Formats: sequence, structure tokens, C-alpha cells
Amino acid sequence: MTANKYSVLNTRVHNVDGYAKVTGRATYTFDVKLPGMLYGKILRSPHPHARIISIDPTEALKLPGVRAVVTGKDTLGVKQGIWRRYPELCDEQILTIEKVRYIGEPVAAVAAITEEIAEQALDLIDVQYEVLPFVDDPMEAIKKEAPMIHEGVERNVNVTRHIEWGDVEEAFEEAEYVREDWFKLGGQAHMCMETRATVASYTSDKKLTVYTSTQSPYYHQALLAGVLGLRESDIRVIAHYVGGGFGGKFELDASQFCASVLSMKLSKPVKIVFTREEDFIATKRRTPMYYYVRTGVKKDGTFCARETRVFTNGGAYTGMGATALYLTGFFHSFPYKWKAYRYDGYRVYTNSLPSSSMRGFGAPQAMFCSEQQIDWIAADLGLDIIEIRRKNAHTTGYEVPGQATIGSCGLNQCLDRIEQWIKAKGTLPKNRAIGISAAGFMTGGIFNWFDSPYSFSSAVVTINYDGVVELHVGAQDIGQGSNTTLAMICAEALGVKLENIKVHSGDTDHCPADLGAWGSRQTLMAGNATKMAAEDAKKQLLEFASAKFGYNIIYDLDIKDNWVHNVARPERGMNYVDLVKEALRGKDGQRIIGRGHYTPHRKGMISPAYSYMVQAVEAEIDVETGKLSIINCTTAHDCGQPINTLGLIGQLEGAASMAAGYGYLENMPVEDGKVMNPNLVDYKIIRAPDMPECEIIEIDTYEPEGPYGAKEAGEGLTNPTAAALGNAIFHATGLQMKQAPIMSEMIVNAFKEKKKEGGTR
Amino acid sequence: MIHDFTYLRPGNVKEALAMLAQHRDGAKIICGGQSLLIIMRQGLVVTEYLVDIKGLDELNCLIYDSRAGLKIGATTTHRTIEKSRLVKEKYPVLVAMEEKLASIQVRNWGTIGGNLAHADAAGDPAPVLIALNATVTIASSAGGRSVPLEEFYPGLFETVLSPDELVTEVLVPPPPAHTATVYQKFNLLESDQGIVAVAVSLSVSDAGICQDARIVLGNAAPIPIRAKNTEKLLIGNKLNEEIFTKAGETAGEEADPVADIHASEDYRRHLIAVLTRRMTKEAWEQACQV
Ligand SMILES: Cc1cc2nc3c(=O)[nH]c(=O)nc-3n(C[C@H](O)[C@H](O)[C@H](O)COP(=O)(O)OP(=O)(O)OC[C@H]3O[C@@H](n4cnc5c(N)ncnc54)[C@H](O)[C@@H]3O)c2cc1C
Repeated sequence: MTANKYSVLNTRVHNVDGYAKVTGRATYTFDVKLPGMLYGKILRSPHPHARIISIDPTEALKLPGVRAVVTGKDTLGVKQGIWRRYPELCDEQILTIEKVRYIGEPVAAVAAITEEIAEQALDLIDVQYEVLPFVDDPMEAIKKEAPMIHEGVERNVNVTRHIEWGDVEEAFEEAEYVREDWFKLGGQAHMCMETRATVASYTSDKKLTVYTSTQSPYYHQALLAGVLGLRESDIRVIAHYVGGGFGGKFELDASQFCASVLSMKLSKPVKIVFTREEDFIATKRRTPMYYYVRTGVKKDGTFCARETRVFTNGGAYTGMGATALYLTGFFHSFPYKWKAYRYDGYRVYTNSLPSSSMRGFGAPQAMFCSEQQIDWIAADLGLDIIEIRRKNAHTTGYEVPGQATIGSCGLNQCLDRIEQWIKAKGTLPKNRAIGISAAGFMTGGIFNWFDSPYSFSSAVVTINYDGVVELHVGAQDIGQGSNTTLAMICAEALGVKLENIKVHSGDTDHCPADLGAWGSRQTLMAGNATKMAAEDAKKQLLEFASAKFGYNIIYDLDIKDNWVHNVARPERGMNYVDLVKEALRGKDGQRIIGRGHYTPHRKGMISPAYSYMVQAVEAEIDVETGKLSIINCTTAHDCGQPINTLGLIGQLEGAASMAAGYGYLENMPVEDGKVMNPNLVDYKIIRAPDMPECEIIEIDTYEPEGPYGAKEAGEGLTNPTAAALGNAIFHATGLQMKQAPIMSEMIVNAFKEKKKEGGTR
Repeated sequence: MIHDFTYLRPGNVKEALAMLAQHRDGAKIICGGQSLLIIMRQGLVVTEYLVDIKGLDELNCLIYDSRAGLKIGATTTHRTIEKSRLVKEKYPVLVAMEEKLASIQVRNWGTIGGNLAHADAAGDPAPVLIALNATVTIASSAGGRSVPLEEFYPGLFETVLSPDELVTEVLVPPPPAHTATVYQKFNLLESDQGIVAVAVSLSVSDAGICQDARIVLGNAAPIPIRAKNTEKLLIGNKLNEEIFTKAGETAGEEADPVADIHASEDYRRHLIAVLTRRMTKEAWEQACQV
């Protein structure tokens, strides 16, 4: 290991908000209590598909303590969506007026003086429905005779996406081996510790304050303005602490909308907190998919062509589903060089809870299919699993035709290190095997379907008299530690100590706009904005220092560890805080303010930078019961320059638990449009005793577009695990598992199936 | 949302019994609350009075007597049983079972009395205690009675308790000589509730013959059931692989499982067969050594 050239970066730092959280002082939306506050509850559809004939709140309004009941008719009836540039994809009225399209869809909301009364009132609202035929599977919904879920949307096809490069037919001709497989991928609940929650407070001066659990305060400010008919700037969104998001909290949700509508009607604060069950059945989920993959290779393992068709279960509304549809197709080509590639994706509406973005954004599904199929191909052709990947791996400078240019790529080093790791493991006990999966991920999206007029990220650095730095960012800390990351970047860029930085985020009145915490974008985008703002402030300080020191202008001045100095003669200089004091006096008492922003340009269609990784999962299989245990999950990881190495481990372990859950536990069956296990007894998530050992092998690369060479380390780590687990099962047993999550019963059935086949041969 | 109720906190067992006698159907006992609060929150249980027996120290005990066996007071927590040296020495299977029952947090609050009275077919203690031939001591203001645990459950989520009765203790007879009891549940997560579970208790004679067998299947029927055909197969025999396998198959057949989202009926039968075979073998090997 070379010595760390940075003062602050690349060290293990505890989160800047750690004390507040550990001591219980952090105020989450759940903790917010305002004078005169009322409590709201939402009445939800019991039908997967029905026309609303009437809603009669009379009896509910008679219940003492009830203050208001609202339905879609009390709203502007705006069909909203996060793809604001595409009106046809803005298809969701949060309080629906004519039809319900999934079980759990909001039809009315109540405000009362207690939560108990609000809940009782729900039973008193009389809704008459005309029940309609429904369909909850995309392969059924796309058929001609299927019920139409949205007026005028033929065959329920909501969005199609097509990606193609090279001459696919010709490349298949060249292939010496072709195989095709169908896969089926399940949904997954985001399962944030904090369920969706909002306190909305409208005052008669037409100002609305919204405390909410959000990944993007700016999105919610803008989306609420659209559905409520208010000016964006008259809405203040506050989210000082957020208990997780994982892709589920940047679209408008019913707690935000209903609490706001009720508050506007009553001019009183209204609080709505979802129960765990509501969070399960009536938010959005990871997109379930059917995948068809046909792949052609040469006998030596060179990839020629791939053709992929995907049908996703969109559920009732679009949400972020259009992006997931594109990204699954794009990442299905990852991280390899295909001579020719064709992807056709269809997002199909169904009468089930909507699907949308979730950590990995379509890539975990893509990898599950791609990376397992590669191992099966390698087995058929007698090729080494590392070698076949190495042969086709992305490299720095590679251009994914028409899509992306790879600015930095450590994939080959990842493969080398994992190969060494596997060799060092030696022979494994019976029924144990290691499976691997390569993967990559974007570092923030370039797409602007939201149509933001603002820079993608902005930051303001203000230096006070005592040297304390106020860093204002629109980036959102949702538990991933972005405030810490940005504080570190700010400290490094200014040359001051970390304890000098105070981060302000999660308040649209005081922080500059930013697209928020999704798509693994904040370290790079908000990081670049922060670095730019810090450098701007530093430049102002050094201008003053330069004048004060009076050196020949050929000398460079710098600040490091609170020491302002001549770079050629570092011992000559002065304390940063003393310099600030003098500099302020020289500026007529003005505080020093630096500004920074970032918007990607000329970086292709998808992202300014890509992370890479190879993960090895060591798993044990009880071949009689089908039970799986993951023993170890080791990842060779290229995220460019790590910023907070402790935060990185947190991301790695968190991703492993979520991704392993997707691999073998988090089954989310939907029957007749109904989620069958909307509680934490029946929906299984990994707990501490089930966590595998997680190791990280950091690969040293430098990403030119990232702040200090940094790339994403958030979502990408969710991509390889289910695939690697599938490969471990394949290597231990020979079974090819084509459905995720891989439940123990499926393994037992697959053994039976295999026996039968063996018997008939 | 939990409906309103009046909270009562008796100072001793007598007071508790009087409260139950007074309010009868209008009252519900709460101990650790680990099961009750969940179903109250779901609105499945609505009660006027809640009688909190958690503080009744009279019922919080673990006493061993070589003739009477082990007496576990009803309010003894799972964690206390798990950590008891006495239990570890005399009935290691109870400790092993407790170690995999829920999380430490739940075990710190949940009690043996509450667990048994909750009558969840997936509960862990009942199959083990039935294999150990335990009885339940029940009190009411009118007197007391004793019921073999095997006869405690008339049906799914039902017990023989009447509204004025309280479980005061569980009595586990001293283990007979050359006897081993083992237990395993099948689950996907460590310490999660079992999809199915099997408890096996085997006694070996001096001649090396299986003298007695008690096999109890958990979550394999609406209530914990004895696998009596399987037991018959074992008693009077010297056991071997072939018999273990046959025992598994027989248990799989005599189980009466239902399908749910966690497992189909077939899969449950298959798991019972595998677990019964494994547990029978393990119990046999252990019993031959003690
Ligand atoms: C997350 C979680 C996981 C769990 N996992 C498991 C598991 O893996 N295995 C397992 O076996 N259990 C499991 N449980 C259930 C739990 O451990 C037991 O059911 C619990 O210990 C019950 O004890 P309690 O004292 O909390 O009972 P309470 O919840 O207070 O009461 C339960 C029922 O028993 C009645 N009751 C209580 N005490 C008496 C008494 N002395 N006499 C008569 N009636 C009484 C109550 O009226 C109520 O009906 C789990 C629970 C949770 C919350």
C-alpha cells in the first residue's frame, strides 16, 4: 500500500451525523410534531381493478374528532409522474378519481385529531365499486384479450426501449456456439427502516412546509408544486434525517400528497406515517421481469452477439419504471465488449403494485441472467470462468457503441484478484462452491427526463470568522453517508480539518437545488460541485494570502491541514483561522462564499463514469432440503478513489445483505393482485446472524470525471450477488437456477426434475 | 392499531386469578407481549382488560428435583432457560432449542408460559416439551389441574385453558436412563420460525434395543403431533440407516401439513422426512452413548 497522499480522503471517518443518530436526537419525519397537528390515514382499494361509482364520506365525517375527508375530486386531478418531459408517462393521480388499478391504491384520505380516530373513520367511508376483470402478469397483460388498464394503451404496453449496435444477424453467423435461456425475476421491497412519512403544514399565506422522508427534496418540491398548483418556491421541503430510500423515495408518494391536500383544506398541519403493511402493498417495488437471452460465442470464448428480450411487470403506473427498463437492457451488456447487441424491452402495465427503481436499477436482474449464462456457456465449451470474462472485459477508453465511453475501468485487475482469492481458498468441503459475477454500474444518470432547469448538483461554501465552513448542498443524506463524503471532499479541497466543516442539507429553503440521492450520483456530481465551491473559496483566501505574504508571483500557495503556506517552502506560512480573520476584515466584513455546480456534458447517454467489480460468493447447499447458506462474499471493487473507506464498507455490507436477500430469500408473491406477505414475519430479510463474511479488495483506479478520481460505490454492489450465488449453486450441484429469488423448494424441485431427466435418458 | 383497554397489574398469583375470575372473557393475560401485542395490533384480539402477569415473581423459577424433574415457572423467559446451567446439564435440547428461538431481544421478553399458551403451530418449545413428556400446571381461583402438554392443544391457536385459568408452570420429568432428545427446525433464516420442525426422543435398552420413542412434528399439522406410526417402527428394534430412512418416509406420510407461501404441502412432507431421518439418527447415536 502506498502512503495516502490525501489529508482527509481515503481514511475511515465516522458519519458526521453519527452522534445525533446514536443518541436518538436525530429528528426523523416520524418525530416531527407541530402545534395543532392532525393525523391522516388513507383509505385504499381492496380491488385490483375497479371503477369507482361513488364515495360517500357522510358517516365518517360524523365521527367525533374527524376534521376532513378528501377524495380525488377535492384535488386538481393532475396526472403526475417523475418523467415530466413525457406527459404520456405521467399517468398517476395519487387520489384516483375514476378507476383503481391495484390493491392498495389510495381512494380517500381522512384527517382527525388522533391516528386512532382517523383509522376508525376509514371504515365509515362508503365506496361503491364496479369490479372489473384484472390481470397481474405481464405475459398475460400483453395479450390482445387482456383487460385494458389505462385508457387507450393497447396491449397494456406502457413503454418500449430498444438498444442495438453492430450487425446482430451477421455476428450470430460468426458464432460457433449459441445458447438461449428464459429467466424469471421477482420483485423486492425497498424495506427502509423508516416507512414513508410526511408532515405537511399549510398556512393561509399560501405557503406549504413539508417534512418528509425523501431521497430528493427538490424533486418533491417540484412535484408537489405541480399537483397542488403552488409555486415551487412557496413549498419548503425539509428532510434532515431519512431512514433509508434504496430507490423508493424519490417519486411522489401518497403520504406527501394526501397530507398536503388535507393540510391545504384545513390550514392545519397533518401527519401521515405509513404502516409497514402500507409500505409493502402501496408503494413501489423492484421490477419483476421475464428475460429471454440468446448469446453467440466463438469456441475460444470470444463474445460475438447477444439478443435479449425483456418483459417487465410494470404494475399500475410508470413511476421510474421507464428508466429501469432502459438500464436493465444497457447493463445486460455489461461489462463486456459485444460485437453486436440487441435489446428489446417492454414495460407492461398490470393490476399490481407499481414497480420502479430500486438499488441497482434493473442491473441485478440483468446480471442474474447474463452472468449465470456465461458460466453455463463456459461449462459447455470447457472454458475457465475467469478467462472467458477476461477475454471480453471492458477496458479503459472502450466505447459502448452509441451509449457510453468508459473513462476508467479496473475490471481486469478485479478478475486477477478474485482469481487469486479463489486459488488461495483451495479445495472446499462437499456441497460448497464459489460462484462469481462481474458487474459495473453508472455513477449518476445523465438523463434529464425530470426536466430540471437547475444544475444537476450545486454547493455553496461559506467561511465564518472562526474558520468554520458552512457547506450547503442539495444532495440528500439518506443514511448512505453523503453528508460525510461531501464534508470530506470540502475539507480536502479547502485544506482544512474535517471538524471545521458543517454540512447543511435536506431543506429546499436553504440549500441549492440538486437532483438528490439516486442512481449513485452524489459522490461524483455533488462531490464535483462541492469541490468547485471549496476551491472557489480557497482561491479567495489565497488571493489575500498572496498579497499578505508578498512572495514572488511565481510561487504557489496552498492550504493543507489548516496551514496556509508556500508550496516550495511549506514551513513558511500561517494558520488558516488567522488568515480567515484577516481576510474577512479585508472584505469589509463579508463572509467568504464559494460557489460550485456540476452538470454532465459530452458523456454519452447514460453516465459520466462507471464502477466495476467482480464478486465471489461462497455458498453451501444442503442438497436434501435445498437450504442455502452464504459463507463469504468477497468483492474486488473499482470505485476509483475511495473517499471514506469506512462508509465504503458500510455500502458493501448493506448491499450484500440486500442483494443476497434478492438471491435466495426476499420472495414477494402476488396472487390475484395481492401481495401475500406484507409483513416482516412472512417477508424474509437477512438479519445479523445470517450475514456472510464480507471482504473488499480495493482496486486502484482514477476516474478523470470524478472528484479526486472517485466513482460510485453505492448501488453497483447490489448487482452481482444473486448471479454469483446462482453460479455457486451451479458449480456445487450442476443445477441451473433460472428464477430469482432461488428458494430452497425450487432447488429440491430442480433436483427431482434432474433425476427424472436422467432416468428417461 | 391497538384498541383501548384497561391495564391491570396483579401483585400476586391469587390476585391475578381473582381478576381473571371477575372479568372472564373480558380479560386477556399478557406476559412478555411478544405474541399478544402483534395480534392486538392486527386487530385480531380486542380486549377490555389486560392482566399483566410479567411481574409475578412466584412464577419466575427454574427448579430441578431428581424425582419430580424440572419445574419451569410460567413467567420464566426464554433467555433465562437458554442461559441456565442447570437446564444445559439436564436437558441440553431445551437450551439448543431456545438458542434458535427468535432473536435475543424476543427471548429476553418472551416467556415459556406465553409461548405455550399462544398455541402457534410453529412454536418451538411445544414439540420439544412433548417429546420430553412434559405436563402443564394450570390454576384458577377455583383450584388447579395438571394436563399433559400433548393434550393441551385441541386445535389451531386453541388451548384447553378456560378464560379464568392461568398456566403456572411446566413440569418436565427427569430424563430416563439412556435417553437422548434432539430437535431441529427447518427455516431459511437462522432463528426464524420453523417451516417444519421435528423433535425426537429415544431410549435405548441395555441390550441396545430402542425401548421407547417419542417423535413430535412441529408445524406439520394444526397442532404439534406425535408421529406414532414412526415411533412404532422404531420401538423394539436396533436402529440402522434403513430404519432411519423408513422412519423419515413414514413421518412424512403421517404428517398433515398445509401449503402456504413458505412451502407447499409436498415440500413440507419432504422436509419432515429428511429432518425425521436425521433427528432419529442423531438421537439414536446420542442415546447409545449415554
Ligand atoms: C420476531 C419474533 C420472532 C419469533 N420467533 C419465534 C420462534 O422462532 N419460535 C417460537 O417458538 N416463538 C417465536 N416467537 C413467539 C414468541 O417467542 C413467543 O410466542 C413468546 O415468547 C410468547 O411469550 P410472551 O410472554 O411474550 O407471551 P404474550 O405475548 O404475553 O402472550 C401470548 C399468549 O399467551 C397468553 N398467556 C401468556 N402467559 C400466560 C399464562 N401464564 N397463562 C395463560 N395464558 C398466558 C396470552 O394471553 C396470549 O394469548 C417469536 C416472536 C417474535 C415477536
